[in-house]
Amino acid sequence: MRIGKRYREGILALILLSVVLPAYSFSAEVVVKSDTIFRFFERDTPSEQDAAVLPGYEYLQIDAGQLDDYGLSFHLYGWGRADFADNDYYDDQTAGELLYGYLQYRQEVNRFSARLGRQNVFEGVANDAIDGLRLSSDLGDYFTLSLYGGQPVGLDSTQGRSGDSIFGGRLAHRFGTQYEIGVSYKEIENDNETAEEKFGVDLSLFLPANLSLFGYSAYNETTGDWAEHSYELRVPIANFLLKPYFQHFSYEDFFGTGANAVNPFRGLATADEELTAYGIDALWQLDAAWTLGGKAKFFEYDEQDSAETYSMMLTWQSEDLTQLGGEIGHTAANDTAGNDYTLVRLFGYCEAMADRLWIDFFSGDLLIAFYDEEIYGEDSSLFISLGAGKRFLNDALSVKLSGDYSQDPYFDDDLRGMLTMSYTYDNR
Amino acid sequence: MANKSLLTTLTLLAVLLLVAACAGLQSRYTLPARHPSAAELTVSPKVCTDCHERGQELAYERYVHTADFGKSHRPEATQGEAVCAMCHQTSFCNDCHATRVELKPSLKNQSETYRSSPHRGDYLSRHRIDGRVDPTSCFRCHGNPKSAQTCARCHG
Repeated sequence: MRIGKRYREGILALILLSVVLPAYSFSAEVVVKSDTIFRFFERDTPSEQDAAVLPGYEYLQIDAGQLDDYGLSFHLYGWGRADFADNDYYDDQTAGELLYGYLQYRQEVNRFSARLGRQNVFEGVANDAIDGLRLSSDLGDYFTLSLYGGQPVGLDSTQGRSGDSIFGGRLAHRFGTQYEIGVSYKEIENDNETAEEKFGVDLSLFLPANLSLFGYSAYNETTGDWAEHSYELRVPIANFLLKPYFQHFSYEDFFGTGANAVNPFRGLATADEELTAYGIDALWQLDAAWTLGGKAKFFEYDEQDSAETYSMMLTWQSEDLTQLGGEIGHTAANDTAGNDYTLVRLFGYCEAMADRLWIDFFSGDLLIAFYDEEIYGEDSSLFISLGAGKRFLNDALSVKLSGDYSQDPYFDDDLRGMLTMSYTYDNR
Repeated sequence: MANKSLLTTLTLLAVLLLVAACAGLQSRYTLPARHPSAAELTVSPKVCTDCHERGQELAYERYVHTADFGKSHRPEATQGEAVCAMCHQTSFCNDCHATRVELKPSLKNQSETYRSSPHRGDYLSRHRIDGRVDPTSCFRCHGNPKSAQTCARCHG
């Protein structure tokens, strides 16, 4: 987690760039969002019992350039943490990470987009953070192509970055709103050794009566077999939406990521296990405010016994973010995981309270879990969180105070507090 | 190895040239760079079909933010990133999908209880069961050396 010298320099360069770049254009739009978080709780450390832990976090997001229109823009998001108590709870007194920082050029014609820098790539088989270049463009009405290449961020902690590379892309064909089919490819090298090589196919098929089918399959070239198949049908009937689905995973091919393999998944790659999961999600939109939902999912394995989960939820939401709801679910996995649990959750978030109270919003969350088999001598968990906030400076600044209490197998009686100050500068 | 790298580079260059050549094939429909916000519309933009009828350009119904959209938007994000980007910066996705962070999503945005943040409450206990039932769901976010650092304290 410690920020290396090279990264510090990179982050500094990106911040400088983000400041300098808008100066080149008077029309530049700039949005800066800052979340400053202070937490306080107690933990046993190697040198002290019930030591106060006082970390402070800063999450900084900068977007500059042509944000509301096509053109050139710059985007940065990262976080840093300082340990103000410095009592050995954290391995390092400071930590941080640049989550993304890239220059982007977009043009309206063909939705062409070029991104250079640290970014997240989500293209078929790729779900990776890279330091590199990504290009994408429509090719006429029927095709879209995206390509990316660079170094994978996920490997920067394994023997440096020399010899690490990632590249791939996705080519999609679509026909209006009838269907879209995409093929994707990704290859990752770790220290000059092929770690992952995957092909993928994704599919959207829009059928009569508003039925639609979505699917995704991934093939592991390194192990030479299919890693995953996931297919879902969406069936809208009046105010109901039914989503039956089917998934199949081969552990050797899904978790087999060669030189990238990490615990606890490394062992699964050598397990001769296959998982088939199927189930249905159902949503009933009672009216504009009320939604009732239910889920049932069944897991079948080649080696282990089966497992299943069921849940129901009911939510009420208004035009703003105000939402109240509850969920109850049960996971039966006694033969697979050696335990079952039932989870109950009640939650609420109320906006626009300033007319009645001094605060602007209030939140609450209650989770209770019951375990069939005790975990460290406890057969249940209790978690409660409460929060309240007030906005200032025409809503540019919000101050939130929240706290949570937990009584569970890992913590007897744990109380934690958090103060969050969020500030947004927006010159648009 | 050197030959493979050269072949890869040449392939990439060839594809880039193809992209450049095909860029002349202009598509008839382009998305706007940004969707008007709720404040600008005075209505919530979460239900696309309230304003948009299904046309030839986009299957709007698939992007409707139903109560479980937070847990089921994988197909939309895979195939329609440009649609998501009209309203959301990547940081919004990172609120849940960033694994190179210390604070778990439900803690960093603790008071935003209306969002489907993963790992709410005492997930340390529940993950012992969920992880055995379906380890593929853990792997999607924690499957590389950097993102598995949160697992490494106990799992080595």
